[in-house]
Amino acid sequence: MIVVVLGIATINFFLLHLAPGDAAQVLAGEAGSATPEYIATLRAQFGLDRPLWSQFLSYLGNVLTFDLGWSFRHGMSVGRLILDRLPATLLLMGASVGFAALAGSALGALAGRRAGSLADTAVSTVALLFYATPTFWVGLVLTVIFSVWLDWLPVGGMTTIGAGFSGAAYALDVAHHLVLPAATLGLFYVAVYARLMRASVIDVQGRDYVRTAVAKGLRSHRILRRHVLRNALLPVVTMLGVQIGSVLGGAVLVETVFSWPGLGRLAFEALFQRDLNLLLGVLLCSSVVVVVVNLVVDLAYAALDPRIEVA
Amino acid sequence: MALLDFGAAVARRRPRAAADGLLVRLLARPSAVVGLALLAIVLVAAAGADRFFPEDPLAMVALPLLPPGEDPAFPLGTDMLGRDIAAGVFHGARVSLLIGVVATLVSLVIGVGIGALAGYYRGALDRALMRVTELFQTIPPFLFALAIVAVLQPSIPTIVGAIGVTSWPSLARLVRAEVLKLRTSEMVEASIALGAGDARIILRHILPNAAGPILVSASILVATAILTESSLAFLGLGDPNVVSWGGMVGAGREVLRTDWYVATLPGVAIVIAVLALNLLGDGLNDALDPRSGRR
Amino acid sequence: MARHFGVGSRLARGDGHGGSAIAQTLRFASVALYAWSFLRFAAGAAVIAALLLIATRVSAAEPKAGGTVTAIIQPEPVVLTSALNSAAPTGTVSGNIFDGLVDYDFDLKPRPALATSWETSADGKAITFHLRPGVTWHDGTPFTSADVKWTLENVWKKIHPRNQLTFAKVTEVETPDDLTVVLKLSQPSVAILSSVNSNGAQVLPKHLYEGTDVLNNPYNNKPVGTGPFVFKEWKKGEYIALERNPNYWDKPKPYLDRLIFRVIPDAAARAAAFEKGEVQYGVLSPVPLKDAKRLAELPTLKVETKGYEWLSPFLFIDLNVDNPQLKDVRVRRAIAHAIDKAALARIVWFGFGEPASSPVPSTLKAFHDPAAPAYAFDTKQAEALLDEAGFPRGAGGVRFTLNHDYIPYGDDYKRSAEFIKQALKRVGVEVNVRTQDVPTYTKRVYGDRDSDVALTWFAAFSDPQVGVTRVYNSASIGKNIPWTNGSGYRNPEVDALISSVQGEADPEKRVADFRKLQQIVLTDLPTIPLVELKFFTVHAAGLKDAVTTGDQVYGSLKNAWFETAPAQN
Repeated sequence: MIVVVLGIATINFFLLHLAPGDAAQVLAGEAGSATPEYIATLRAQFGLDRPLWSQFLSYLGNVLTFDLGWSFRHGMSVGRLILDRLPATLLLMGASVGFAALAGSALGALAGRRAGSLADTAVSTVALLFYATPTFWVGLVLTVIFSVWLDWLPVGGMTTIGAGFSGAAYALDVAHHLVLPAATLGLFYVAVYARLMRASVIDVQGRDYVRTAVAKGLRSHRILRRHVLRNALLPVVTMLGVQIGSVLGGAVLVETVFSWPGLGRLAFEALFQRDLNLLLGVLLCSSVVVVVVNLVVDLAYAALDPRIEVA
Repeated sequence: MALLDFGAAVARRRPRAAADGLLVRLLARPSAVVGLALLAIVLVAAAGADRFFPEDPLAMVALPLLPPGEDPAFPLGTDMLGRDIAAGVFHGARVSLLIGVVATLVSLVIGVGIGALAGYYRGALDRALMRVTELFQTIPPFLFALAIVAVLQPSIPTIVGAIGVTSWPSLARLVRAEVLKLRTSEMVEASIALGAGDARIILRHILPNAAGPILVSASILVATAILTESSLAFLGLGDPNVVSWGGMVGAGREVLRTDWYVATLPGVAIVIAVLALNLLGDGLNDALDPRSGRR
Repeated sequence: MARHFGVGSRLARGDGHGGSAIAQTLRFASVALYAWSFLRFAAGAAVIAALLLIATRVSAAEPKAGGTVTAIIQPEPVVLTSALNSAAPTGTVSGNIFDGLVDYDFDLKPRPALATSWETSADGKAITFHLRPGVTWHDGTPFTSADVKWTLENVWKKIHPRNQLTFAKVTEVETPDDLTVVLKLSQPSVAILSSVNSNGAQVLPKHLYEGTDVLNNPYNNKPVGTGPFVFKEWKKGEYIALERNPNYWDKPKPYLDRLIFRVIPDAAARAAAFEKGEVQYGVLSPVPLKDAKRLAELPTLKVETKGYEWLSPFLFIDLNVDNPQLKDVRVRRAIAHAIDKAALARIVWFGFGEPASSPVPSTLKAFHDPAAPAYAFDTKQAEALLDEAGFPRGAGGVRFTLNHDYIPYGDDYKRSAEFIKQALKRVGVEVNVRTQDVPTYTKRVYGDRDSDVALTWFAAFSDPQVGVTRVYNSASIGKNIPWTNGSGYRNPEVDALISSVQGEADPEKRVADFRKLQQIVLTDLPTIPLVELKFFTVHAAGLKDAVTTGDQVYGSLKNAWFETAPAQN
């Protein structure tokens, strides 16, 4: 784990230092005009006038002591900036993956039980269509339909600003804002889960013990629940772990379209502002999320399949 | 990326599918046929772009924002600068396919290389390589590609490179798993007994037998690369000197509300290509799988 | 996505300050011409002109109190005090929290704000401001001359990127009493009076800043000002909330109860938010240009191009005079002849701009020289000049290839670059367009000088001294200072003119100098002016008096009120 963290810090530190221009220059550029003295002042303040190896060593030292450093751009500690945005990201991630896994599995099970039927083809085709359509395009179109035309859902953001909701009303408000971004991000993955589930169901249905169950005269939905679904869930759960990194990346697009205040957008902006500490912090944090989710997946796996023990 | 892992999970098959029977079995599957047909359309568009539209697709040739069908000379209309959308879609097919294929080749070289070495030599090398793979897998691939393209400046080579460099880890895992399995097969053990070199064994005996799953993954990787390129273009990281589908969608989104066709028509082209490659990947997967004949 | 490169907005940078001609304007009385010329240009696009007429009609009704305005802010500001950072988003929010010593009307005449009156001594070497009595900071502390003196000495002259130049000639600040500030100057400095609004010279509360590390003072992010709205909350990545200042000096203003700035990164989403009524105010062209035309036709929204007079933005290309082809003035002139500026304004900018003939925009009527050398769109002439310069068409009809970098502030600039690529291709010059982010762009153009043709926009300001002369001043070449001389043009005569206008008190002499400057740079043509841009504000039709000053983009909504309150979403 430590090796992974150090590796990520190293790769990104040097990649970003390849980038022309630095944070002081970005600030000066945004200011409209600046004197060389002003830029030098900023640079000294950000520690950008020190040699690269010295910046790198002090950065690594900080990371190892769980100090992600200071964002000069935001005038805040990176840790706090990330903690502020992390809940929004986890919520979006959880909701979209949850939506994709549930909807995908349901559709996949349906298709798998009637493999080769018209329903099967229809489900597979629709799911694939969403998979093949660029995410941001889906997002823009959903906004137009559900926010502008039908006026059911807000255009973007995470809360109704200044409404002063609390408790259940607040949760409902956030949920209301969450629907479109989560659906947009989730629709991309529905196809994945649908196809996975469909394949699993077909596979398991052909196994001997299921045939035995059928021969014993068990009712079909019971077979489905007891034997087929339980086994078919395993690859679905595995996929959750594999995909989490890709979901975090895809969130950049969705956060942009829906003004969702998450980590993806924060990283994207940090990149263009050369806010190195912040960007490294977000990347490290994303990696930690990926690792933790995979750990949870391992545990869930063990729970679903008693034959596997958690290593 | 996503479906690729699906491929990895489901495609662990015995390497028994002989190439000659493959096409026949492929053609027996309706989805594969549809995929092949769609892909053929895309390929014809790419190959025939110069013949159908000899003009520079970036040239401003007509009034801006002509809707489709308004002027028979521009059946798909024109974009904000008065460029022929039909010409853009045809020429864009080339660039988008090129990006997809070359990025996938980059990914294949890295992924197959690392996977084969790790699986064949096992031990310390395996552990080290898998640690590196893990490292790349924990950084969200799209964020990583974004950073690379932003730092190196958007151009076709950097976009292709960034997609390739960030999309290989799951391929490496798939190849490693296949190699581990084949490593212990009688055929390989016989070769070792005969004193064949490692390189020869890997290249001649192991990889050809793992070709099926790799091919399935590759077809999906091409599709994913095309999608990734369009996402990068949406975020402003496209190459303005060539016309690509992603670039067209990215540029047209500003007028999506007023002139829907500018972003939508190249978007449809992306959907067709990605769909075709996925259907083909599925078909290949099924055709390579002896068990799927049962249904 | 917004896209855009950079942080996604068409306008990441402030550029709105600078010195200017207010002082001149006072002496000249040529002021009305500004408004006149503005209207004349607006008439170019029928739709816009019609809107303008409707929107500028002063609402006769009595203002009503109450209501919340949700506005768009994009990109998210870095800090909320313009005294430290003159970026556009900071200015837009900060202008509501801090009043300036003055603000500027549509004719760019200063109007009393924190200063009730001001005068310049006969020799031009002293400027006196009389401050408004009874003004308090939001924390209740009285606002006094000591605040102005402290900020000038410690912030404007030391930290503020632009004011270090604007206030360079101030040698001493006297405060004879709490309500009087006297600036003593080593030389007359005409630019100062054009730069003392909330954005140009923001006064910080001395009692909260004195003795602190100013750049890292926590109040930069939770500002305490004197303005019509009080800072309440900043939720990073989401919104900045301000509330009505009940103790504001200009009672009964402000009329609005609350002002919320929402961060919405995607341009199409911003348009949808306007359409749906979720936001009611946004400056600096907040939606795609094509959408602006669509939104303008909705009864619920207004699109307004006033409020940017103080900026007077113009689009141009820098031609690198060290490039082997571009060092020949004939090649530079050929490029000017090859670009159809009218088509650029009409097609790429959807009419939100007029063809530019001079780096001093025609909106600066007093300084603009209509008789300066012009380069009509004429591809034959362009080809002839290129042949004459010794660059005949070679293989494939190509004469030579140039790299073209465009300012990454959004799709409009990218499309402009693509337009230029096609225009030059027609005369046999191949163009390779390069996309990059802002720091890379500024380093390439102003530092490494590794660009051949660079597209950018500058604000000219009401006095070309600050906005325009920086384009040609050779002192900044290659120093990596953003938004300065990107062409590498060095002309001692031009440098002499630039330093002459800075210390010159005689307005007629300055005008003559500026006209001479235009004659020279339009003959040598190190830069080609392309389009006088027209930024626009979108606001709800029910929000009245939203645009009331010539520096509204960085001003406050103290005059704004709701005729009909928007349905709260």
